[in-house]
Amino acid sequence: MAVYEIAGLRVRMAPRYPTLTRQAQPYLAADQQGPVHFTLTVDDAFLQAKQAENPHLTINDCEYIWVGAAFYRALLHYDGFLLHASAVMMDGKAYLFTAPSGTGKSTHTALWQRCFGPDRARILNDDKPALRLLDGAFVACGTPFSGKTDLNINSAVPLQGICLLSRAAENRITRLTGRQALAGLLNQTLRPAEEQEMDRLLRLMDRLLRTVPVYALQCNMEKEAAELSYQTMKSCQEGIAL
Amino acid sequence: MKIKPGFMLREIDDTSVVVAVGEASEHFNGLITLNTTGSFLWKKLQQGATEQELVQALCGAFEVDPDTARADTAEFVAAARKAGFLDE
Repeated sequence: MAVYEIAGLRVRMAPRYPTLTRQAQPYLAADQQGPVHFTLTVDDAFLQAKQAENPHLTINDCEYIWVGAAFYRALLHYDGFLLHASAVMMDGKAYLFTAPSGTGKSTHTALWQRCFGPDRARILNDDKPALRLLDGAFVACGTPFSGKTDLNINSAVPLQGICLLSRAAENRITRLTGRQALAGLLNQTLRPAEEQEMDRLLRLMDRLLRTVPVYALQCNMEKEAAELSYQTMKSCQEGIAL
Repeated sequence: MKIKPGFMLREIDDTSVVVAVGEASEHFNGLITLNTTGSFLWKKLQQGATEQELVQALCGAFEVDPDTARADTAEFVAAARKAGFLDE
């Protein structure tokens, strides 16, 4: 077992297969001795059962997916949750683009990199950033669990805004009310099956919708789409609601 | 009649929403948003009430004439029944 620091949490785990081992490596904690927030263990029998249910996955994939799922379930106990999104960070702020798989989240953040340069616009987590409420404000965090790509950075930066992304011929962005944004966000996180856990998630969603602007972004794959989402989101100075 | 177990009503950013947990979430994994009247009726139905009791409660809590209350209640109950939220 080794100690990792993920989204500001000290996590003990023992990766055995290549993907998780490689992805987790940048998150190894400098201090291996101190106390941890939680331990993630997924035993071989469980992984084999999961693989039997999902024959298209290897045991390596199963470890990566279900250790990730265990991490995000535990995260709810530390004022955090998963958003299925591609997160790009630029000038010290995080911009998230969420949508069902296959819509073009990664395509859009890749456009940011083409538009603003890959050194300035960096992919914090291409698929599953962790959002944490710290001192009254949300930060977006890279994690080792970034879906099919290995694009993630061990970093945490203030969350500037979230777009619910859809494809369209013309680019258009509209600010959403909490009521309009809620269903789109809830569909792109892990929904807990227990009431207590669901309560934690909904309380966080409430805080998120009160403090972080959410937009509907309809976009194509031209560079103007990245210009539009960046210019709109960066200029929003949201006060912290109490 | 009564709301089935597993449905939670919460206020999120000043919006009343209902989500399902436990067994209820196996059949319903969406999200219902309710207006003020809907949220009021839902809370009454969580405790259990007849349609007549709902109408009376609605008239007591809101400035609404009995015919409108009856129509609103009937509409709400029919929708809730159709969506499978009610134990009768």
